Amino acid sequence: MVSKESCRNEIRTAIGQLSERCLHSAAKWAGEQLVGIEQDPSNSTPSNTRFQRGSSSIRRRFSTNESITTPQPSVGFSQAATPLPEEDEVIDGDLYHLAKSYFNCREYRRASHVLRDQMSKKSVFLRCYSLYLAGEKRKEEEMIELEGSLGKSDAINRELVSLERELSALKRTGEIDSFGLYLYGVVLKEKGNETLARASLVESVNSYPWNWNAWSELQSLCTSIEILNSLNLSNHWMKEFFLASAYQELRMHTESLAKYEYLQGIFSFSNYIQAQTAKAQYSLREFDQVEIMFEDLLRNDPYRVEDMDLYSNVLYAKEACAALSYLAHKVFLTDKYRPESCCIIGNYYSLKGQHEKAVMYFRRALKLNKKYLSAWTLMGHEYVEMKNTPAAIDAYRRAVDINPCDYRAWYGLGQAYEMMGMPFYALHYFRKSIFFLPNDSRLWIAMAKCYQTEQIYMLEEAIKCYKRAVSCTDTEGIALNQLAKLHQKLGRDEEAAVYFEKDVERMDSEGLEGPNMLEALVFLATHFKTHKKFEEAEVYCTRILDYSGPEKEKAKSLLRGIRMEKTGFPSMDMEHFPL
Amino acid sequence: MAGLTRTAGAFAVTPHKISVCILLQLYAPSAQMSLPFPFSSISQHNRLGLYLLSLTKSCDDIFEPKLENLINQLREVGEDMDAWLTDHLTNRFSSLTSPDDLLNFFNDMRGILGSLDSVAAQDDQIILDPNSNLGMFVRRCILAFNLLSFEGVCHLFTSIEVYCREAHSSSAQYDASNDNLGSLIQHDQMDMEKYIMDKATEEIELQKNASGRVPFHLHTPEALFKVTEGLLVTRKEKSRTNTKKAEATQLACASSSTVNDTLVDESLFLRTNYQIQGFLMEQADAIETHGSSLSSSSIESFLQKLQNLAPELHRVHFLRYLNKLHSDDYFAALENLLRYFDYSAGTEGFDLVLPSTGCSMYGRYEIALLCLGMMHFRFGHPNLALEVLTEAVRVSQQHSNDTCLAYTLAAMSNLLSEMGIASTTSVLGSSYSPVTSTASLLSVQQRVYILLKESLRRADTLKLRRLVASNHLAMAKFELMHVQRPLLSFGPKASVRHKTCPVSVCKEIRLGAHLLSDFSAESSTMTIDGSLSSVWLKDLQKPWGQPVFSQESGSRKSSTFFQFCDHLVSIPGSVSQIIGASYLLRATSWELYGSAPMARMNTLVYATLFGDSSSSSDAELAYLKLIQHLALYKGYKDAFAALKIAEEKFLTVSKSKILLLKLQLLHEHALHRGNLKLAQRMCNELGGLASTTMGVDMELKVEASLREARTLLAAKQYSQAANVAHSLFCTCHKFNLQIEKASVLLLLAEIHKKSGNAVLGLPYALASISFCQSFNLDLLKASATLTLAELWLGLGSNHAKRALDLLHGAFPMILGHGGLELRARAYIFEANCYLSDPSFSVSTDSDTVLDSLRQASDELQALEYHELAAEAFYLMAMVYDKLGRLEEREEAATLFKKHITALENPQDEEPNMA
Repeated sequence: MVSKESCRNEIRTAIGQLSERCLHSAAKWAGEQLVGIEQDPSNSTPSNTRFQRGSSSIRRRFSTNESITTPQPSVGFSQAATPLPEEDEVIDGDLYHLAKSYFNCREYRRASHVLRDQMSKKSVFLRCYSLYLAGEKRKEEEMIELEGSLGKSDAINRELVSLERELSALKRTGEIDSFGLYLYGVVLKEKGNETLARASLVESVNSYPWNWNAWSELQSLCTSIEILNSLNLSNHWMKEFFLASAYQELRMHTESLAKYEYLQGIFSFSNYIQAQTAKAQYSLREFDQVEIMFEDLLRNDPYRVEDMDLYSNVLYAKEACAALSYLAHKVFLTDKYRPESCCIIGNYYSLKGQHEKAVMYFRRALKLNKKYLSAWTLMGHEYVEMKNTPAAIDAYRRAVDINPCDYRAWYGLGQAYEMMGMPFYALHYFRKSIFFLPNDSRLWIAMAKCYQTEQIYMLEEAIKCYKRAVSCTDTEGIALNQLAKLHQKLGRDEEAAVYFEKDVERMDSEGLEGPNMLEALVFLATHFKTHKKFEEAEVYCTRILDYSGPEKEKAKSLLRGIRMEKTGFPSMDMEHFPL
Repeated sequence: MAGLTRTAGAFAVTPHKISVCILLQLYAPSAQMSLPFPFSSISQHNRLGLYLLSLTKSCDDIFEPKLENLINQLREVGEDMDAWLTDHLTNRFSSLTSPDDLLNFFNDMRGILGSLDSVAAQDDQIILDPNSNLGMFVRRCILAFNLLSFEGVCHLFTSIEVYCREAHSSSAQYDASNDNLGSLIQHDQMDMEKYIMDKATEEIELQKNASGRVPFHLHTPEALFKVTEGLLVTRKEKSRTNTKKAEATQLACASSSTVNDTLVDESLFLRTNYQIQGFLMEQADAIETHGSSLSSSSIESFLQKLQNLAPELHRVHFLRYLNKLHSDDYFAALENLLRYFDYSAGTEGFDLVLPSTGCSMYGRYEIALLCLGMMHFRFGHPNLALEVLTEAVRVSQQHSNDTCLAYTLAAMSNLLSEMGIASTTSVLGSSYSPVTSTASLLSVQQRVYILLKESLRRADTLKLRRLVASNHLAMAKFELMHVQRPLLSFGPKASVRHKTCPVSVCKEIRLGAHLLSDFSAESSTMTIDGSLSSVWLKDLQKPWGQPVFSQESGSRKSSTFFQFCDHLVSIPGSVSQIIGASYLLRATSWELYGSAPMARMNTLVYATLFGDSSSSSDAELAYLKLIQHLALYKGYKDAFAALKIAEEKFLTVSKSKILLLKLQLLHEHALHRGNLKLAQRMCNELGGLASTTMGVDMELKVEASLREARTLLAAKQYSQAANVAHSLFCTCHKFNLQIEKASVLLLLAEIHKKSGNAVLGLPYALASISFCQSFNLDLLKASATLTLAELWLGLGSNHAKRALDLLHGAFPMILGHGGLELRARAYIFEANCYLSDPSFSVSTDSDTVLDSLRQASDELQALEYHELAAEAFYLMAMVYDKLGRLEEREEAATLFKKHITALENPQDEEPNMA
């Protein structure tokens, strides 16, 4: 286990270095982790620890006090041999400060201009970085200005070419630091040279592991587990963060959860880890748990917008209208032009059945971020609700084209086609979605239903699907019932009985009653009677007697029959001889 | 609907248009002089006017010329004042230093327009009529500019800078521009190089055709066209480049930077949706025609570019699907097909969708099913295909899309007839569509018939001429192969006439070919959007020889409209494909009915007239037929030579039938030469080509076992051969393969004949004859008659007379249409008959016998059929011996010996084919 103290020291130094280079989001991330570390009890009064969660002002004061006192490099850090780099330059001082201020005021070109003749690594990095951002900003603007009639918008970052030239030259001469390598990786990635980009990013994180930006760029380049495993990363606790997030993206949720659990040992109060854990739990469909986690998260960090769309999904799934509206209102006040906010509002309207409005908000979210996957999928759902299947299909298809692993969109496509009476065509899409999420009973059930439609009517295949659904712990209990019925339909009473029994067992354990139960009981009673297993038959018959209706009469007559066969005598009327 | 294409082709101001405006300003300056300053004569002035007119007309093109091209053209037009013109142009451009200058420029432009109502202009005044072509152009430019936002103006400004800079750089030296080019196209250098070469050759051709003149009219649109089309062009042309290389490369620089430019720069691309669709349609045709001989990656790279340019143009996905389909990439094809239909809902760019029927709220996903079904069919998943097509039928009915239904039914019948699915009940039993549900009781053939009829009826009412035609052809095919029988026969009326009906085949083929006349009669209604605009594009390809801006320019066709008319009477590719198919079908039917010359003629007609427009598989079939003909009538040497050519041509085609043909020929050849081991191997390989699924590839399987039986027969393993033939007959019966039955029966007769069991053979021969009669298989019947006669003779020489009579009855057919082998056999048999006839004396009538034998031996030598040839020479020697002509006897005897030794020691001297 890495010592908390060393982590804290590392991060503290890193935050300084990152914000010095205007890598604000990385600094933000590091800061979050820093306060996420449990405070050293020796250094802090009990009141401080008590207030650690929830009282940010105290925490901040506390940490600033300390960071001034201990800027020394980490000592006794066993796992990583990465020394914190020395801050090399003090020389470029004035100009650098000016450039930094420009940068912070989002005047990127100005910032890079100020640093035009500075040769120190730090200045070079900031110059290139601001140039890159200037190009990105222009690109975004152009994308809207240039939107062509057939959707053409191939605006590019015009600084990429020169940046690549410069950075590669620096790399060749070895005058590049890990931040430069990070930027080089980003530029290469934008230019579509993924292998080189990966190499450059790996080099960057190996020499300076605290730059979360570099890690997340690297993670976006790891599209398969093979690529991930092939990376040559030196050990550091930051690597654990990276792996956890990479596993999550590769849908290896349990592995990811394990990593986060480990990290939580050090960063016990990290909001980030909590949100990520919630994300993983969400994928495992542990909604109750996720809801609690998010509530907790919001209590500590009430103005958080990140990942809140996920929370809204949970609330949606739980049909918690009020909570969802509260959340929507809150994020709306915090920052209404965030894709997440729009998505949450869209979810709210969707839950309220106002699908047109929902679509409008999803559209807005997509306007803000064209590649916002879940908005496309959710919009598809809305269109399905509005019975506008072609539009739904279009939306789903876009989601799938952005990320071919999005099983929800594949599933949506399948559903849309099934709705249009094309079950055979839909099967392909269901198969796709199952390929990406083989452990979800809902998908298997959807596919089974497709096979069951009268147009296709391939019952054997349907049975296979339901079996898979059962093995994936089908929570809604459709599969068992359907399996039993299908077997019954195909005249395989033995199998049918087995599944009915299982179904009854399940309903008993969940305390469910209903027509399904009655049906199962009646079948089982008659089945066991015909097979001369009178004990079982009697048990089921007596259970039926609890219900009213025609079944009760049937049960009675069954019981009579059982008696008769058991004793070999003609039975007497039950009414007359109550037991 | 989110994914539908927005109409493209809005008029946008581009640097090129500004150039034209500048020139227009020169042509009609607002100061109204009778002849503006630089012009020395009225004709010079007019010439510029004509030039400008053509420029404005072509301003909607896919690509616009670069400034450099424009300057080159100006040089041609301007003659002595060219320097002044170009100087003015470049100066004017360099004076545009800020967006404000642009604003002023367009304000000035307004000045050169005359006022709308001033009709009474003085004669010598130059006023641009606002309603004239040029005036309209100016007005459109001004309007488009006024609509621009400030950002738009800024973009225009930067693109003007690029426009001028490029002209400067490319007017620099060749080397410099080459460097520049290198930096311009960093990625996909290779592709660009290809384009450059093609472009270069094309430019040269254009220049040649225009006899040195600059072919000014729209030569840049071809750049795009050539981007892909050029790749199809054979590379032969490259050799011609050397003379004008430097110049060509310059031009190429310009054009390639155009291509490159559109990738990075907006606004230059995309004229109308219409045109792009047409262009894509053209590409689709090309993919189909050339099959997988086309490099799929080059198309892919082009499509990638197009997709970058127009992400909302979903038809690109369809083209990619076609491309993948033809390069046999199942997964990619499926993926792209689904993507296309997901995005377009089947409503974009499909000519099945009549605009009048409107695209319903529900999209047209039934077309997706239809395409998917055909795709599965092509990839060899008949059951899957049938499932999908059944669903297509259902959905079409549900959405009452009769057009799609008709096509689907046709596809279904095609599928059924090609695959001949054995136990269709299991497949179709599940479907509840009215067409198929009644059909579960019927045989596949009957089902095909119903489907075809149904499809034909719908197509007829919907006036889908091409579908009608192809349905007629399918019907002809069906009639050709299948016995007419009432669909449901009950009771004692079972004695139905089992007969194919050549008349109805002929009728159907003729009906199919009516398509042609239909097209020429009312062509205008038949042109669908895509072909129209692609025709237009094609026109662009043809350089006009006439001098365009000479004085008598009125002789030129003044607008593209007339060219449309020109083209409407010509036949669209799909139509000529169907007509071509009808000729192929004719050839096949003649083949079956037994007229070799007619079959050959029809194939030749096809190969010569429709070879260009045919799909690669059809062309392959034609080659196949011709080669088979050669083998039968000219011997193997010619056939193998031809096969070699065909192999080069078609080997890349997927599921090539050439391999099959090769195996057949080799087998035949080996059998004749007595190389039984080789024959057996070929036979096995042939069987290996067939799919292992029951009921699929039946024809191939039948063929393989037929050949196996023949090989066994040649190896004198009679009982085994008979066994194979018997089981084959059972298979044929099971799958209702009537024609094959006849030949199997004949083979059985043959086996019994060879095994010396003539009595047993007779009934088979007779049965075969009766089969042939009912199916109108004349040639096969003749050959069966020959076998029958042989069997009679085998019963004893006292039957020689009867045998001879039979033979003479069949002789006309055999000699007229039979192949070498059959004819030789008949000759030898005739001689045999005579010789065994006790009433025949050799000494008096030797010539009758010798003539036939000589004929036979000649033909057999061409065929290298050692066994029969030996027999012929043996007989010949015997006759000579009887006649006492010793020298000739010796000669015949040596030849006999040669053939016998060749037969007994078959060397593996395969003509480097196997």
